[in-house]
Amino acid sequence: MEQRMLISAKGLSVSYRMNKGLFSHSSLRAVDNVSFNIRKGSFFGLVGESGSGKTTLGRALLLAAPISGGEAIYQDDEVRYDLTQIEKAELGDYRRRAQLIFQDPYAALSPRMTVRDIIAEPLEVMNITASREETDARVREIADKCRLNLEHLRRFPHAFSGGQRQRISIARALVSGPQFIIADEAVAALDVSIQADVLNLLKQLQAEMGLTFMFISHDLSVVAHTCDHVAVMYLGRLVEIAPTRKLFAAPKHPYTKALFSAIPSLNPDDRGKAQKLEGEIPSPTNQPRGCKFHTRCPHAIDICKSAEPILETVETEHDVACHRWKELFA
Amino acid sequence: MSALIDVQNLTLEFSTDEGLITAVDNVSFSLNRGEVMGLVGESGSGKSVTAKSLMHLNPANAIYGPKSRITLNTDTGPVDVLSLKRPADLKVVRGGAISMIFQEPMASFAPSISIGKQMIEQLQLHSEMSRAQAREISVEMLDRVGISDPSRRIDQYAFELSGGMRQRAMIAMALSTKPKLLIADEPTTALDVTIQAQVLDLMKDLVKEYDMGIIFITHDLGVVAQTADKVSVMYLGRLVEEGPVREVINQPKHPYTRGLLAALPRLDDLDAPLTPVPGDIPSPLERPDGCVFSTRCKEVVGPVCSAQIPLEEWVDPSHRVACHLHQKESL
Amino acid sequence: MTQQAETLSINPDDQRAKEAYFTASQRQLVWARFKKQRAAMTAATVLMVLILAGIFAPFLSPYDPTIAGRNKDYLNGAPNIPMFCDKNGCSARPFLHTIERERSLKTNFRWVETVNEDKRRYVEFFVEGSEYKLLGFIPGNTHLFGISDGFIHLFGTDASGKDIYSRTLHAIWTSLQVGTIGVFIAFVLALVIGGISGYYGGWIDSILQMITDAVRTVPAIPLFMAIAAFIPQTWTAEMRFFFISLILGLIGWPTLARRVRTHLLTERNQEYVLAAQLCGASSSHVIRRHLLPSFTSYIIVDLVISFPYMVLSETALSFIGLGLKDPVNSLGVMLQNVTSADVLMNYQWYFIPVIFFIALVMAFVFVGDGLRDAADPYSDISR
Repeated sequence: MEQRMLISAKGLSVSYRMNKGLFSHSSLRAVDNVSFNIRKGSFFGLVGESGSGKTTLGRALLLAAPISGGEAIYQDDEVRYDLTQIEKAELGDYRRRAQLIFQDPYAALSPRMTVRDIIAEPLEVMNITASREETDARVREIADKCRLNLEHLRRFPHAFSGGQRQRISIARALVSGPQFIIADEAVAALDVSIQADVLNLLKQLQAEMGLTFMFISHDLSVVAHTCDHVAVMYLGRLVEIAPTRKLFAAPKHPYTKALFSAIPSLNPDDRGKAQKLEGEIPSPTNQPRGCKFHTRCPHAIDICKSAEPILETVETEHDVACHRWKELFA
Repeated sequence: MSALIDVQNLTLEFSTDEGLITAVDNVSFSLNRGEVMGLVGESGSGKSVTAKSLMHLNPANAIYGPKSRITLNTDTGPVDVLSLKRPADLKVVRGGAISMIFQEPMASFAPSISIGKQMIEQLQLHSEMSRAQAREISVEMLDRVGISDPSRRIDQYAFELSGGMRQRAMIAMALSTKPKLLIADEPTTALDVTIQAQVLDLMKDLVKEYDMGIIFITHDLGVVAQTADKVSVMYLGRLVEEGPVREVINQPKHPYTRGLLAALPRLDDLDAPLTPVPGDIPSPLERPDGCVFSTRCKEVVGPVCSAQIPLEEWVDPSHRVACHLHQKESL
Repeated sequence: MTQQAETLSINPDDQRAKEAYFTASQRQLVWARFKKQRAAMTAATVLMVLILAGIFAPFLSPYDPTIAGRNKDYLNGAPNIPMFCDKNGCSARPFLHTIERERSLKTNFRWVETVNEDKRRYVEFFVEGSEYKLLGFIPGNTHLFGISDGFIHLFGTDASGKDIYSRTLHAIWTSLQVGTIGVFIAFVLALVIGGISGYYGGWIDSILQMITDAVRTVPAIPLFMAIAAFIPQTWTAEMRFFFISLILGLIGWPTLARRVRTHLLTERNQEYVLAAQLCGASSSHVIRRHLLPSFTSYIIVDLVISFPYMVLSETALSFIGLGLKDPVNSLGVMLQNVTSADVLMNYQWYFIPVIFFIALVMAFVFVGDGLRDAADPYSDISR
């Protein structure tokens, strides 16, 4: 059971500095004190609505967002990096091992480069290959795995549909031989059928290449079908983490429960059964005191308004941050 | 009781640099008051173009087929939408009897004018109200859609509201002229799922209260299942299946509908694999001969599928399909 | 994938056309779109003709446009239009009638001109004439056409007898030169300043923007008046010419810089830029490979459209005497004498060059507009 943890985060926070005037500023805590572990080889889902901080957390793990506190360790078979204190020399190597797939297939590809150049760019920038032939061979290999053929390599992005462009994005992320891929809403902009196609491709690539995925999404159904573990975020904090089946069968946090019941079910006879969650998500600049969710929680009591609940392990591999989980959902 | 809106043989082509693109091909349907129709399809299916035709809102290079007819039954008699040309006549279908709400509310509110000003302008365009009256009605509408403190919010700008509130404000604006038909083009796609649930509930309540017809365009079958009375499925400009929502979702008859449902991740069965519809949607410049779905269909009957366009068959009193599979069965 | 099923039913020509579309780079796509606009293509042709006329002005004009080439006997003379036929019959070669002047007791010792319709002067082609240097360094002395005896003035002459046709062609060339230098200086400055501003943002951007705005608000006419007073009289016409171009460029860069900056600010937040940065790409790589190519099309449009502004600015300044002066030839200089009533009523041919310049400016504007229309739709394709 001692499968290595590829990513271990403890108390990780990401803050942005917002300038209010010439002499004053405030901090926006986009990610607040999150702790979690991602096992090597797993497909880890991160869900949340807008303002949850899930995208920021993903970027922080790639060192594209300012980490303001806590620690995050990356450890694979070869190296161990402390992401909060990484040195310049190590950074280049880390970039090879951790890559990102973007949401928008239209904005993520440079419109003036051929597909071959787009996929080859990481190899060229990171000096992974020694010659043009080697680069071309690598590109062709990855393109083939992503079901892009030779003809496609010569074309420009405008020739492709959304699903095909996403496959080009995936190929670009994989060409450097990474271990860890963050997919940030990678299928959100795709039609349902294409979405299924791309998800199947991701799972297939994971099996073939031994990858570890962090799958950021707002779409719970997609996450339920592809991920083995899921973490739920609300306003910068982790509220619940559990293996997928457990989470969907028996959620222990009021927000998770509300999320599930808000998903429109495919059964027309389920109408009227959903418990609607009132209110709006508070603005990240104006976060509530105590438990961030108390303003909308149907079960909030006094302690929820003053004290922040801690994320604690309540069962094997199941963490919850709620003052009342025991009485509500145990 | 005649239908609220009746669409017959709607065909629409766009003349572009690359040639004549068929966006909608011989689509017919009708909608009654108080009925919610879900119009489902992927990108390129022609659903948005169809909806815009109901308001005669398509760009100048749109060419309607000779047999296309859209009839709107208003209190003053039937209106032939496609023959309207003068702005005074078009006012009826644009914002008057028919209102439309969009996916991106930031795009339909002018950023530098307050929401109230736009709502009041809309009301005054379509009625004889004074400014004060229009303002009063607008505040009422904002309250009705669940926006708190409406008399203060009415003077705010679109960017000051959150996504969910903006969408509610857009619904308020669309409904303030008491339209008979509301066209909602992906209104909740950009919203968080908990906010989406609120907005969908709101829309269902309003349908009952105003006895409106709603055409709900979406790619999300779950949303359709929860809000619609009947579903129409479109693919590459053709209406391939239409029926009561329970029947279409639980017993889909068209291979495309079946493919869509099989590709959906369902929360009630986490073990089911996601099976995509094979292939890619053809470019509108290369519409297949015969059945438009024949290039990707797993249940092709024979050479007839790529040679002949299937006619619609009624497999149940209110459930029709355009597929050779069912034409064979009914023979 | 069933792509194969679709390609089988398409003939090879369509397939080739599609393939060409798929593999077309952005430049090729923009050019293809541009070609479809008739107005823009016509304007482009006109522009090419005028530019060539300007470059080959010394060859195409029969005489030296300066005082050295003037016709002392034909001041303020009307245009001579060659004819092919007259009362004595037709000829394949175009010709002119001879104007004879005589002064005698009969005419009270005043010069009287009569047209002798029997004496023909034939237009000759590729004649040897005054020496010139094409583009400033290629020596030559062949002129496209001339006349066997005397002068031929297609557009007439001005008050000192200079051939207006020759002057027009040379003036086009001067204006093009001034425009090019001005645009070039403005462009380099705009690229550097706008580029740094847009790429780095933050306080660098704020400071540079303040400077840009300050320069932009400088009013042109008073500035030029001050400079005109400051230019020493001892400067040669050439030095003056370069100086004016330099000033035009130094005033023209803010608008262009603004455009560069705006474009960079949007582009650098694009996801494909972030993707490159996540691979550890350096700033110069990002600028070179992603940002610069992304706005070449816009910048070209801006450059082409700035051209007519430079030309018009120079014309206006020279017209009021603050720009170029004789012997350097430009439209503004040529128009300096146009305002007197004498000219307006009697010597209307002074205005012929104006038509050329209207054509030049309009050609630039139409081509620029056409380019902009052709470049913009590209951003629509990507959706």
